[in-house]
Amino acid sequence: MNLNEKARSLLTRNQHLLTSVCLSAFLLLVAAFRAPQLFSSSGIGSAIIVLAPLVLASLAVTPIVLAGRGGVDLSVGPLLGFLNVTLVAWLVEYGYSSPTYVIVYLVGIGVLYQIIIATIIIYVRVSPIIVTLSAYLVLTGVNLVILDRPSGVAPEWMFDWGNGATVFSPVFFVLCGMIVLWAIFSRTAFYQQILLTGGEERMAFASGVNTVGARFGAHAVAGVYTAMAALCYTALIGSGDPTQGSTYTLSAITAVVLGGTSLAGGRGGGLGSILGSICIYLISYVLATFNFGTVSGFVTQMSTGVVLVMSLLVNSAISRPAGETK
Amino acid sequence: MEVCNSMSDTQNQVQISRVVKRFGETIALDDVSLTISPGEVHAIVGENGSGKSTLAKTMSGVLRPDSGLVTTFGESPRDPMHARALGVATIFQEILVAETLSVADNIFAGADSLWKRARSRAEANQKSRSILKQFSGLDIDPNTPVQQLPLSVKQWIVIARALLSNPRLLIFDESSAALDLDATTRLHAEIGKAREVGCCVVIVTHRIAELVRIADRATVLRDGRVVDELVGKNITKSNLLRSMSGKNVAIDAKVAAESMLGRELGSVVLSARALRVDRDAPPFDFDLHAGEIVGVAGLDGQGQTDFIRAAAGLISSHSGSISVAKPQGLGFAPIDAKTSGVAYVSGDRAHEGIFPNLSIFENFALPLYRSTFGEYGWIKRRQIQRAFDGEVKRLSIKTGRTSNLITSLSGGNQQKVLIGRAFAAGPKIIVLDDPARGVDFATKRELYTQLKEFVHEGGAVIYLSSEIEDFFDFADRVLVFRQRIPFRTIPAIRFSEHAFLAAMFGESEEAEMSFERVGAA
Repeated sequence: MNLNEKARSLLTRNQHLLTSVCLSAFLLLVAAFRAPQLFSSSGIGSAIIVLAPLVLASLAVTPIVLAGRGGVDLSVGPLLGFLNVTLVAWLVEYGYSSPTYVIVYLVGIGVLYQIIIATIIIYVRVSPIIVTLSAYLVLTGVNLVILDRPSGVAPEWMFDWGNGATVFSPVFFVLCGMIVLWAIFSRTAFYQQILLTGGEERMAFASGVNTVGARFGAHAVAGVYTAMAALCYTALIGSGDPTQGSTYTLSAITAVVLGGTSLAGGRGGGLGSILGSICIYLISYVLATFNFGTVSGFVTQMSTGVVLVMSLLVNSAISRPAGETK
Repeated sequence: MEVCNSMSDTQNQVQISRVVKRFGETIALDDVSLTISPGEVHAIVGENGSGKSTLAKTMSGVLRPDSGLVTTFGESPRDPMHARALGVATIFQEILVAETLSVADNIFAGADSLWKRARSRAEANQKSRSILKQFSGLDIDPNTPVQQLPLSVKQWIVIARALLSNPRLLIFDESSAALDLDATTRLHAEIGKAREVGCCVVIVTHRIAELVRIADRATVLRDGRVVDELVGKNITKSNLLRSMSGKNVAIDAKVAAESMLGRELGSVVLSARALRVDRDAPPFDFDLHAGEIVGVAGLDGQGQTDFIRAAAGLISSHSGSISVAKPQGLGFAPIDAKTSGVAYVSGDRAHEGIFPNLSIFENFALPLYRSTFGEYGWIKRRQIQRAFDGEVKRLSIKTGRTSNLITSLSGGNQQKVLIGRAFAAGPKIIVLDDPARGVDFATKRELYTQLKEFVHEGGAVIYLSSEIEDFFDFADRVLVFRQRIPFRTIPAIRFSEHAFLAAMFGESEEAEMSFERVGAA
């Protein structure tokens, strides 16, 4: 394969990234003019700390969406909140707050939860939206029962994680580690099976792909990433918060879609979700430099919505198969 | 892969014994038994709904029999994964590809296990490229998303997927449907190779001419039962037809030709002026008269499909115009086509024909609600019911309860519902895009009778077919496409297999003429 051809095949494979790449480049440019402090060491440091939970949550949703059949995890936010409040209210409270305990606990519960959800979706055959919406409501309630208001403290060893004065904070390394893990994951046969299952399930099934295994696996990976998102989230707020976690659901799914991953499954990937998260962060960052006063939160939401719709339009325009009729 | 020597050993055979499979009240397979030996090409033939596809699906583990046993090489496949492990590779009637994934991903689907990759990506890419080049003659980048490729290449991808798994049992379920003549010949060569290494090959097909050429043994199914088994020389067209229909069918292609030739043609009902099927194609004119059946043929991708889709208003032509009775400009859309009395029947049932999640009746009635039977948004259910019953009877569609999902019907019966739908809309012109794909001989004959009646009453038909034999005794003239224009128009009086092939392959007129003089003598 010559160089030209290599470049072309790289382009065809990554067509879905077009919007998020262009958008983040544009937003970075605007940010460079409006608020250049973003590019200082502390600016990048704090951006990473704010971004980490969102990036990890969107990576958690990605494999589930890729596996198709309308797969989506609406409960990613409350699950993240659940892990956060139980970490603060139980583990720290009863003295099991060493890093090993915390990580084993988070990953264990995250994966266990996702396996239960996957079992309901796969064997009871309830639509993923319904299952995870129910789980969203249940967990939101449970979180408030465990911790009725923001309180508690993060484990001691996490105290300095959240200040983000430098780029190379512990959160940075956690994030990088998880991204490297994703890169490895996306090169495995397992990942391929998830894509095939999501791309055309009947074909995958009939040609002997273990579709059930692939789906369970996708959920398990989601569990791991939600766990790490919860870890970074706890580091970010330094305490327990029963309600804020839930807001990650919408941002994470928005990031996944902005990243060009098709909600129908089979198309997209982790890089898109990372870029999508960055876009979402940058939108609110850039908008914060304008003075919208008390309504700035609404303006951010509104802009995110508009950007999402626009990106879908662009995506559908570029990914239309050749020769398709109008 | 191992070569099987002992013919009697169950370890090396595929045995189907007393298999019964029901779908609700329909019995798809009724006590079916047969044995497939290694190195044998075993054809399974039968009319629509005779259970051929169901039988193929039980062998590939997609369906499990209600009773009886399928033993492939000593074990019964539990599911497709297990079947694959046993060495079963199936090419299904539907072209199953993941549209958004790459060519290589599609070709090697199922080759890897959940944790272990069977080969590196580079190797998969390189192998995909070479096998597609070998099969289709095209050099295709293995990273191309499959949705950008034409149907025939998708078909090759599916075939490549099966062949690359080193199968011991290879099942073709109507899988040459999307291939043209030349490609079918290449496919037969591949089947021959598989046979030589001792593979069991099962072919489910409607193309009788095809299986007469390659089958060693043919099992004939009728209404889910095995009614005949033909071996070697006994596999002939007439034997097969006799067993399939249960009665003596005389095949003579040239009887009715005269009556059609004598018919007066009516006024022009559809005309194309300076039409180009794509941007670079040369322009051409075309007129369709009332009372005429125009066949359209050609090798794959010579523009005939675009032409027929433009005629049906599905795509806009790149330049030029198509007018139906009264002039219409560019950008003539399906909805315009419908209001001006053009009905379209697609051979690509899954994508352009059926609504898989609706019932048989709804599939029939949906497009009719507005045009024919609805006024002011009200649906006249009783009228539609009457039309439906009429078409079911006329086309002898085998339906269970009409509120069942359309997907509960066999492919051929689904197609009949779609054809009935086209008739019921009361069109002036019917455009058919290879509607006989996956439809048995008897249904085809019925369809032709219906279409002839339709033109007698002043209708006009454009009919694309990938099978030359379809045109005999049916079409008034055939446009053979080559290089994106009608390369040659062959009138009914000069129909011969040779004439079609010569035109398709662009052979000179003289070669054809000399042959025809012999034919005419």
